[in-house]
This record gives sequence, C-alpha cells and structure tokens, in this order.
Amino acid sequence: MGEALTIDSTLRCDVLVIGAGGVGLRAATQIGEHRPGTRIIALTKAFSPQKSHTTTAQGGMAAVDPKDPVDRPIFHMFDTWKGSDCSADQNVVKKVCDMGWEEMVWLERHGMHFSRTEEGRIAKRPFGGHMLNFGETKAFRACYEADRTGKGIMDTVWAECLKYGVNFIGQCIATEILFKDGHCIGTIIFRFPEGKFLAILAKATIIATGGKTKMYLVSSNCRGNTGDGLALALNAGLPVMDLEAVQFHPTGMVGPGILASEALRGEGAILRNKDEEPFMERYAPTAKDLAPRDLISRAIIQEIREGRGLFHEGHNAHHVWLDLRHLPKEVHEKKIQEVCSFFKRFVGVDPEKDLCPVTPTAHYQMGGIPTNEFGEVQGDTQGIVPGLFACGEVAAASLHGLNRLGTNSLLELITMGRVTGERVIEYLKDAKEPEALSPGAPHMVFDQFSTYLHAQGKEKYAQIRDTLRNLMMEKVGIFRTEKPLQEAIEELRELKERATHIPLAATSLRANQDLWQLWELNNLITVSMVIAQGALARKESRGAHFREDYPKRSDEFNYHTLVYMPQFNEVSFGKRPIDMSIFEAKGEHFELFDYIEREY
Amino acid sequence: MLESYTITLEVKRYDPDTKLTWMQAYQVEASGILRFVDVLREINDEQDPTLAWPSSCEHAQCGSCGIIVNGKPLLACELLVKDAVEQFRTHKFRLRPLTIAPVLRDLVVDLEKAYDRVHKAKPYLIKPTSPHPDGDEYRIAPKTLEMYSEATRCINCFCCATACISSHHHFLGPNATMANMVRLMDPRETAKKERMDILYRENNVYRCHTARACSFVCPKEIDVSHFLALGKEGRF
Ligand SMILES: Cc1cc2nc3c(=O)[nH]c(=O)nc-3n(C[C@H](O)[C@H](O)[C@H](O)COP(=O)(O)OP(=O)(O)OC[C@H]3O[C@@H](n4cnc5c(N)ncnc54)[C@H](O)[C@@H]3O)c2cc1C
Ligand code: SF4
Ligand code: SF4
Ligand code: FES
Repeated sequence: MGEALTIDSTLRCDVLVIGAGGVGLRAATQIGEHRPGTRIIALTKAFSPQKSHTTTAQGGMAAVDPKDPVDRPIFHMFDTWKGSDCSADQNVVKKVCDMGWEEMVWLERHGMHFSRTEEGRIAKRPFGGHMLNFGETKAFRACYEADRTGKGIMDTVWAECLKYGVNFIGQCIATEILFKDGHCIGTIIFRFPEGKFLAILAKATIIATGGKTKMYLVSSNCRGNTGDGLALALNAGLPVMDLEAVQFHPTGMVGPGILASEALRGEGAILRNKDEEPFMERYAPTAKDLAPRDLISRAIIQEIREGRGLFHEGHNAHHVWLDLRHLPKEVHEKKIQEVCSFFKRFVGVDPEKDLCPVTPTAHYQMGGIPTNEFGEVQGDTQGIVPGLFACGEVAAASLHGLNRLGTNSLLELITMGRVTGERVIEYLKDAKEPEALSPGAPHMVFDQFSTYLHAQGKEKYAQIRDTLRNLMMEKVGIFRTEKPLQEAIEELRELKERATHIPLAATSLRANQDLWQLWELNNLITVSMVIAQGALARKESRGAHFREDYPKRSDEFNYHTLVYMPQFNEVSFGKRPIDMSIFEAKGEHFELFDYIEREY
Repeated sequence: MLESYTITLEVKRYDPDTKLTWMQAYQVEASGILRFVDVLREINDEQDPTLAWPSSCEHAQCGSCGIIVNGKPLLACELLVKDAVEQFRTHKFRLRPLTIAPVLRDLVVDLEKAYDRVHKAKPYLIKPTSPHPDGDEYRIAPKTLEMYSEATRCINCFCCATACISSHHHFLGPNATMANMVRLMDPRETAKKERMDILYRENNVYRCHTARACSFVCPKEIDVSHFLALGKEGRF
C-alpha cells in the first residue's frame, strides 16, 4: 500500500443526508419543496437511492383517515402503545398517528401507485396488532401497493428529489461524522469506484442509514445493513438507545431468511405446526395469526422446542408451516404476487398448492440514535447536538419502544422524514457555513483504514463474520439469559481483537470490496456489543426483548436504555424516561395509556 | 435430499489499477439450492477474496446484481444452482459484467452512470392534476391502474437494456422509456406534451425494433416491449 490516506477534495452543501433511503429522501423532498434552492447532497451505499432497502418493504403502511367511519387515530395510538409493551414515547406516537393520513395523501399526490378499491380510493388491509375499538377486532388500516409498498414509497421520494436537483452520491460510505465546537459540520466519505476520501461540509446533517440486523445468521436485511450509522454515532461519543430491542419477524423463508410479509397473514394465511394445527389459537386466542411479531416468533420457537416443528434438510434449519393454499387465486396473483414468486424461486414451493416453510428472521431494530420528536439528535443529558438530525430505522424517537407493529415503520419514514425536514428548514435560518477543515488534521477513519491495510495475521474475514452471526443468533437472539449473554460479550471482545489480524488479499483502495466489507464487519461487531450489553442490563422481558430468567415486564425498567461506547467495550449506561404525554393529558381514554397489561 | 453440483464459473475479470482484463475459472462444489450470489460469496470466502461482484437485497427486489451468465443478462441473486444447470444444460458458466456502463472491477459496473438514462425519463409526475374536491387522494379505478401497474414493478436492473441491441448509443433504453410510459398512462399526469417529446425525441422509442429481447430477459417478467409498442402506436 503505497498511497497515503488523505482527503482528496471537499464538497459543500446546505443539507447533507447520510442515507438516501425512504426517510432520508422524504426529509429531502420536504426541504426541496418548501425551501427551493437549498443545496442538498444525499449519500447511499447502493448504486442509486432507488436501491435502498426501503424498496424491499412489502406489506403496507398504517394510517387512519380521520373521516373513516369505523377506525380512529386513537385506536392506532393505543395499538402502537400496547404493541410497544408500554415503552414507546407517547408524544411521538400521537404526532405520527395524527399525521399519517395526510402523508398518504402526500405520497399519492406525488405519484405513488397505491392499490385501489373499486371506488378508486387507496386500498387497505389488516396487519398484526392493528385493531378497532382498543383491541376488539382487526382493523383495515394498512395502505399498500400490492406487496411492494416500500418500492412505491422509494420510487416516489427518489423521483421527487430529481425534480429538486438533489445531488446523489452513490457507492460511498460515510465513515466519520465531523464536529466543530460541538456543532456537526458534515462527514468524510469513502467512494468505492475511485477509492478516494472526500469531505462533505454541511450546515445541517441528517443521519438516515436505516436498518442494521446483518449480525444475525438469519436476517431479512440487505448486504449493506451493517449498522454503520450507529457505529458512527458511538464513535463520535454519542449515545444510542434501546438497541437490545431486535425484532425477529416470524415468517422468514427457511434458508437465507427472505421475508414473507405479514401481509400474507393479513390476507388470511395461517401458521401451522407439524401436525398442521393452527397453533396461534393457543397463544393469542383473539388476535391469532395477527398477534404482534414478538409473540408469534416466540410461539414458533416454543413449538419447535416442544417437538412440533419440522426440519428442512437442504437448509439445515427448523421451521413451521405457513399455509396460503386456501387464499383465492386472485389474491395470489394480484395482492401477493412478489412474495409468492419468492417462495417459488428461492424455496421451490408453490404457495397455491404447497405448505411454505418459515422460521423467524432478524428483521428490524427498534432502537437507534436517540432523537426528540423533531428528529434532533440528543447528546449528553439529552441536550440536542446542533446541526445533527436523525430519522428512520437508524433513529429512535421513539415510535416503537421495544416492539414495533408491522406497517408502522414505513409510516414513521414518511411522517418523521417530513418532520425532520421541517426542523432542518427552521435550523437553516441561522445556520452558518462551516469553516474549511484544517489540512492534515487527524481523522479516525484514516487510523481505521491503515489498521485494515497493514494488518498481519492468520484470521479470516469469513470466519469472523460467521462466528459473529452464529453467536448473535444463539446467545443474543429471541430468547436470552444471563450466562449466555455474558459469554457473548466475552466472545465479542475476542472477535473485535481477532478482526485486527485479518490480512487483506489486495490493498488497492479502488473498488476494493474486501476492504469495504472489513469496515462493515467492524461496525457489526460494535453494534452487536451494544445489543448484548443492553440485553444483559435489562433484567426483564418487554416487547421483543425476552429474558428467560426474567420472563415478566417490570416497572423498575420503565425507561429507555442509553448506551455510550466511545471506545470499543468502554461502555457506560444512561436512562431516558418514557414520554407519557397522552396519559398525562387526561383526555378521552387516557387510562388506556398507562402501563397496561398486554394480552392478545 | 440435498443435491450437490460441481460447477465451474469462468469469470471475466478486470483490475482498474492495472487496466488488465482476463478470464479466471473457479471450481465450486455447491448445493443446488444456493443462489449464484451465495456461490460468489463462497468463492470470496474459500478461494479468492479479491473477486468483486454486486448485490444488495439478494432477493430480486433492488436490481443491483445483474450479470451476464452464458450470454443472458439476469439477476445473480435469484438464479439457483440447480435451476442454472437445468436452464443452461451445463455445469460450466461464463460470467460477464453487464455492458450498459463502464466496469469498475470484475463483475461490478457503474450502474450509477446507467441511471442517468432513467433520470432523463423524468420518473416523477411533472405536473400533477388538481386535487380531488374532498382534498384527499385522486381516484383511480383499479382497471385503469391495471393498464400500467406491471410496468411500475421495474427495478431498474438494466438486464433489458443490456440485452437490447439498440440501447447502447442514444436510445434511452427499454426500462427508461417504460418509466416515461408509466407517467403517460398515469391519469394524474397532465404534462403529456412534454412526455411525448421525450418519447418521440430522435433518440427514443423509434430506436426500438420490437425484437422483444427486453421482455425475454426481464427477471420480473414484465412485458417491456408491450409498453414500448403502446408508445409507438400512441396508445396511452
Ligand atoms: C424485507 C423487509 C420488509 C419490510 N416491510 C415493511 C412493511 O411492510 N411495513 C413497514 O412499515 N416496514 C417494513 N419494513 C421495515 C422498513 O422497510 C424499514 O425500516 C425502512 O424501510 C427503513 O428505511 P430507512 O429510510 O430508515 O433506511 P433504508 O431504506 O435502509 O435506507 C438507508 C440508506 O442509507 C444508506 N447508508 C447506510 N449506511 C451508509 C453509510 N455508511 N454511508 C452512506 N450511506 C449509507 C443505504 O445505502 C441506504 O441508501 C421492512 C423491512 C424489510 C427488511
Ligand atoms: S424492465 Fe425488467 S429487465 Fe428492464 S430494468 Fe426493469 S426489471 Fe430490469
Ligand atoms: S423490443 Fe425494443 S426495447 Fe426491447 S430489446 Fe428490442 S429494441 Fe430494445
Ligand atoms: S441483489 Fe437485489 S435484485 Fe439481486
């Protein structure tokens, strides 16, 4: 490696969006539409923003039309609160549920191709945990575009950004957040094609890097969902919140864990065990197959543990069945066309005729970079970090608390994206152009990259990656207990150390996939450590976080976990109170927004 | 039971540092249910970490992993080994990068550049109709939507553009042209004139010879040439 690591050039803009996915670009369109002329740069690891992971979201996006004759926003708020196992922030829940419908109309008017009812209106389908009259019966609340709702959103916001001249930079990673006197002033990116570092200086920076569950062996996430945004925040000394809350989606296709959307069960699909018994009736007598995901995932593992699961030899994995055979042909062909094609292609079964093998898959992380209800990032003692914003899956405002309901994430993208965009517009009024970086200043990313480029030893990238994924699945997965969690933390320490002894086969900076993946692997290990630490500290079970040694929710833990880790394994904890403003406002039905029992 | 295959991948490689191009063969023992992306990952893990290949979602939803296998542009993430053996009737596969954009390394091409074509087709609503009197969503009958909803499934993998004989020079290419067609058929778009200009501009739809290679290769099984034909006939 002869080339010295330096910043090749500097770009300037008003707003920098790190992560041009659904939420990043919803924020960008808000700014483009309402503050014309704003210079916006949006970054993505993919070739185009259109290829961000939002594009793979299938099922739908919850929103209640205030004119709906049976559904009401307050039912949606209640479901979200109950679904979160009483750990979502009620100020955010209220804001998002109240705005939902307006945002559907926004998307529709900006060209999204929603599925339609016979009257030509936006069609809606039921989804897990969404119910009428505070839990009585399933609600038709998820607006959708067949089973490619995320693609509909992504295509819309991406195309709108083209209108406003947003400057997309693809095939890059943001590697470090830059600060000056406590203000965020941008980032340093590394571009894959040329292998060059660029500084991007901005008045306001939005972190929107999305999902991060690629540290699990079975995961519905894309190749690049490696927790970069969280690692950037942690490295900058900022806290992250509730990372222990990892959602396992009950129906991943056996094998790689490709998602089989909850929309299938929304349309009537049924889970069955090896005796073909519809076992969810035993676990959730009212909601059955449309109970929240954490509950169903645990039920599936329970069935498997008690010998009522099946074993797939080809993929060497346990599973249960998802039965779609009784659904009308019309549903197979029009409403769930993509997912049916995945079963045919990737698993070799035809959902119209065969039972489909499914198993829980790591899907979503509720926690993230803590923000207030405006998307402003919180630093120490919950004061905001000027110039730094975060939204979407990488952030925690927190709409989901420790468990998210299906369709609430896409809703979060378009609502919190807009809210954050509005806040950025406010912020820009007095924001100053950042000063140029002093040439030759030290940067963390150069240290990281030199370590990778000069590493000697016998360790192998693939081995460490696979050990990590197995370890997280076994010891920090759906069911957790103290001892395995402690072991996991110990093993993560070792992995982090071992990862510094992976020699690269080629040390060119240009289009070096191996180098890029090594950087990502380090982020995965960092984030895994925080997940494990949070899981060990939360000695209770709440939402997606389940401790076999503490199987009940405990009022002692009525707070959000904050974790700081400025150096690997230098961990300290903090707490953020849960916002109870709906309860405290003492309005209609306020008593349902207390710490209530959670049964379905 | 698990069926395993011994397959050979002959990969066209390119090193941007030396500007050299060469063919390199890898022999792999692979389970039939593995996808080509899994096989490429296995090559990275077991044989050669320097081999670069593109992917993201790895389940046919993002269009990042297009490559040419034995002459056919396809998605590496949805081709299972057993299906490949059956479809191509061989255990030997020649892998080349797509030809629609410059190669960055090995199988990775600069799709970011290829996207310029799609941007030129203006995939947004240039000028939306006025809102519904109730202030909520515009009404679209399912029948109207059905006329073009297949075309909205396009993931811009550029397989069709690679297969299309005429897309290399000035033709926007099948997927970009189809993106324009979607908005021509979308009842919410009022800027039809501007869209027709894009469609009939010298470099566009008349470059298409209706040879249907695009429809043949589309991994999403979209009848791309049907939409281009509608464009030529002015039926939208
Ligand atoms: C298969 C699947 C199906 C789903 N279905 C639903 C559903 O039906 N309903 C629902 O509500 N939710 C669903 N979800 C969840 C939801 O889709 C995601 O939470 C949401 O799309 C995340 O959006 P985002 O904008 O935050 O991130 P993303 O869309 O993931 O975008 C992140 C962007 O950041 C970029 N990026 C990441 N790291 C860096 C870096 N270091 N430097 C530069 N750029 C970077 C990425 O390349 C990408 O462009 C689903 C999720 C999956 C995986
Ligand atoms: S039309 Fe088909 S082949 Fe062409 S880019 Fe779209 S999805 Fe790919
Ligand atoms: S039908 Fe037209 S667009 Fe399709 S491949 Fe042939 S020339 Fe290209
Ligand atoms: S990797 Fe997304 S389509 Fe193949």
